[in-house]
Amino acid sequence: MPDQYTSIVWEIRMPRAILGALVGGALAISGAAFQGIFRNPLVSSGILGVSSGAGFGAALAILLFNSTSYTYVFAFFFGGLAVLASYLIGRVYSSTTPAIMLVLGGVIVSSVFSALISFAKYVADPYNQLPTIVYWLMGSLATARYHDIAVGGIPMAVGISGLIAIRWRVNVLSMGDKEARSLGIDTVVNKGIIIACATLATAGAVCVSGIIGWVGLVMPHIGRMLVGNDNKVLIPASLSLGACFLIFVDNLGRLITGSEIPLGILTALVGGPFFVYLLKKTKGGGW
Amino acid sequence: MLEVINASFSYKRLDVFKNINFRVNEGEVFCIVGPNGCGKTTLLDCLLGILSLKQGEILLNKRNIKIISPAETAKQLAYVPQLHEKTFPYSVIDIVLMGRAAHIGLFSAPSPRDVAIAEEVLELVGLTSFKDRPYTQLSGGEAQLVLLARALAQKTKIIIMDEPTAHLDFKNELTVLETIVQLVNNTGLSIIMATHFPNHAFYFENNSIDISVALMSRMTFSAVGSPSEVLSEDNLKSIYSINARVVSHRMDNDSELRQIIPISTVA
Repeated sequence: MPDQYTSIVWEIRMPRAILGALVGGALAISGAAFQGIFRNPLVSSGILGVSSGAGFGAALAILLFNSTSYTYVFAFFFGGLAVLASYLIGRVYSSTTPAIMLVLGGVIVSSVFSALISFAKYVADPYNQLPTIVYWLMGSLATARYHDIAVGGIPMAVGISGLIAIRWRVNVLSMGDKEARSLGIDTVVNKGIIIACATLATAGAVCVSGIIGWVGLVMPHIGRMLVGNDNKVLIPASLSLGACFLIFVDNLGRLITGSEIPLGILTALVGGPFFVYLLKKTKGGGW
Repeated sequence: MLEVINASFSYKRLDVFKNINFRVNEGEVFCIVGPNGCGKTTLLDCLLGILSLKQGEILLNKRNIKIISPAETAKQLAYVPQLHEKTFPYSVIDIVLMGRAAHIGLFSAPSPRDVAIAEEVLELVGLTSFKDRPYTQLSGGEAQLVLLARALAQKTKIIIMDEPTAHLDFKNELTVLETIVQLVNNTGLSIIMATHFPNHAFYFENNSIDISVALMSRMTFSAVGSPSEVLSEDNLKSIYSINARVVSHRMDNDSELRQIIPISTVA
């Protein structure tokens, strides 16, 4: 086999596939955990503002340094900062429904960071920086190399392992704070661990791949249709579904046209019809 | 087992209740009766350790509840909530297994022993055949029994219930009451329950359960005692502002079942 084939497979395709699996898995598992603890099947991994925060971080790095080399650090940092801000807003006053306050905090922080992203686009140089920002926001694995795995892989691996370990507690937390507490769970500590793990995983994913929507919302639902609602099984199932789905969609994006289609576009285009097909086939899994 | 001494609670400046004293012994049912908004649920939340008293103390087996961790509390005190909005269609057995949470480590899942306990309590409430059904598809009464089973899976000596028969039809209501009577008689369980149906107290009394009733109104317990002495026409008039008759029905076994009949509001 010619040398360049070996190097294409091992140095370009392989890191891309590994990263795709990690990113898809991280987004899906965080989505599943968040849906559980917020008792809301409509939330996704970005609910606490991690995606918009990371998007702004990346845009800021592109503006400041006119290159993409600092985007990891900035995206990761601002993603984490956004979740922290949501968490603090959620604790501004002690409500009887802390979960709703937290989601509200996420909505506020997301919209602030979205506005900041728009502002960054507005002041960006339209020939050079603006396309870079827009392309980054659409999400892509095209530039994946092994060092991306080293950078994003560590927080993703830590977050994913944490969520796998604590997964059964998500069942109990999904009964609401009062019941979970009466069942013997320290809800503040348990939710804190889950939010921290999901944020690490999502921020790690977003900083290497850009913003990829849909996976964190829908993979957990596909998981529910296939394996049921028990998070003991659902959380690992979401992880592997997200991983497989993203590798598949990434390959599709690379192959169907001459130039690559950004991942963020294809995940919804492919995932939507597949979701409807599963709905019909499994009758929704008890909803 | 559970003792409440001089308990007061307030949200910021709004007093909810004060000077509440009572104790619940083994095998006893303690019914808290009172009008809407009198603070019954808040009192239960304090007993569960979800809210903290402003003054006074709650002793659970002689230890102040403030210094007991949630896991430790859940091993001594279980809670059956009012029927609630169901979010995810967990199977019945998954719901009951949640009762084992206090016994399961942070990074663990239920063991075969936990599953055996869950199956055993499902049998106790007569829902063994519902084990794998989605909890969202159960009727109100069945769902209430599942929540009772979940509390039983905690293997505690005390269960706290908030309106266990709200929204249930006659048959389901009686099923829940009969299950409670059976449990108290067979296992020496103690039950603290808030209810809008003072007639339940007469039901328990008639089934020779050791029962006390507390009338809660104007931020405190205005009377505590046996159903026959506390649930009088005068007391009902004073706490609910209603005219009511307490009548007596002779049962087949020659016992008397008292019942309250609400007649009219007091102008």
